[in-house]
Amino acid sequence: MADAAAPRLVTRRTFLGWWMAVILTSLTAAGVLPILVYLWPAPPKGQKKGPVSITLDKPITQLNDGEAVKFNAPTNPNTAFIMADGGGDNAPGDLAFGGFAVKNAGKVDVLAINCSHLGCSVALNDAAKTFDCPCHGSRFHLDGTVLHGPAAYPLSHLTWKQGDNPSTIQVDGIVLGF
Amino acid sequence: MAIPHPRDIQLAAVRWLDERYPFTKAIDEAMYQRVPNFANAFYYCFGGMVFVIIVLQLVTGILLAIYYVPDARGNPAAAYNSVLFIQNTVYLGWLIRGVHFWGANILIFMVLLHMARVYWTGSYRAPRELNWIVGAIMLLLILAFALTGYLLPWDTKAYFATEVTIKIAGSPPPPQLGAFIKTILQGGPVVGPSTLQIFFTAHVFLLPALIVLLMYVHFKFIRAHGIAEPL
Repeated sequence: MADAAAPRLVTRRTFLGWWMAVILTSLTAAGVLPILVYLWPAPPKGQKKGPVSITLDKPITQLNDGEAVKFNAPTNPNTAFIMADGGGDNAPGDLAFGGFAVKNAGKVDVLAINCSHLGCSVALNDAAKTFDCPCHGSRFHLDGTVLHGPAAYPLSHLTWKQGDNPSTIQVDGIVLGF
Repeated sequence: MAIPHPRDIQLAAVRWLDERYPFTKAIDEAMYQRVPNFANAFYYCFGGMVFVIIVLQLVTGILLAIYYVPDARGNPAAAYNSVLFIQNTVYLGWLIRGVHFWGANILIFMVLLHMARVYWTGSYRAPRELNWIVGAIMLLLILAFALTGYLLPWDTKAYFATEVTIKIAGSPPPPQLGAFIKTILQGGPVVGPSTLQIFFTAHVFLLPALIVLLMYVHFKFIRAHGIAEPL
């Protein structure tokens, strides 16, 4: 038996008050959640991941040691490459709009064009056999490793394989759908 | 029938309105406020100048929206072409866009001057802290206006400036949170047509509604507290 003098822990008023608070909170959440879901961007209809066929200016088999060819992502439809690895500003899965096919010490690398510092497009320095970033002066060896900061991580690789004819390669990418 | 004096028509109209709502009283209360002598200094006008510029931005913004097309697909995109059209073909389009552009720049300058005055005269002190907070939120809104408006011409400068700002916005750790913010702001994996759509919506619908609302709150607070006496 409850002591008549002691105040009740839960009265009808507080019980109903809390019930109303719970119901109103749930209603608010039920109203806000669909808005949050709506705001999350849905991929456009034509967006599709897959290999992108690129025609190089010079077939990989004809590249001399220390030679690099630049290529761009197709713009019709708009396409981007997907990085296989990367540090700093780049990360696996990040997108690139250009790259270099490089032959260095007998080995062929396909690198994304994005500087690992803050993402500017690096340019081939043919005389020094380096990739130089125009924005903050980072420099990279032809295999993508850092020659000079501020970049602290090597350039990202793109996943690729030889295409049907000697001058094409298949690079992992995404058709953006716009 | 004698021709009535214009004043009689005016009085009749005002009486008709006042019988239905006390307009005269409301307008008198809003307009006839004594300005204390210390508030006659020029630097007490900065806030009012901010208000005038914001009104100017609203008017020129509505005019620009008549011709602007928020569509970034294609190259050159319709958005870029529509800005060229405003600038080169629309009658006085260069003037309206110029006023909007310079107004935006001067607005930020005047906001900073207004804040400096409020700080200098100590007008943020109790009981006016809430109005300082409302003002600080409006400063952020103005900066959001500047950020979103900068993308709308959809030229190279706009595109890469936005790429940089979104990169900064997406930098807080952990990386998943940064990526989440970036995706929401961009509306996808890259700065593209959906980014322009989002920024346009914010610039033209969301932010104006918020700033007009907060300006009303700001002025209500000023009327409640009166102009702060200098230190």
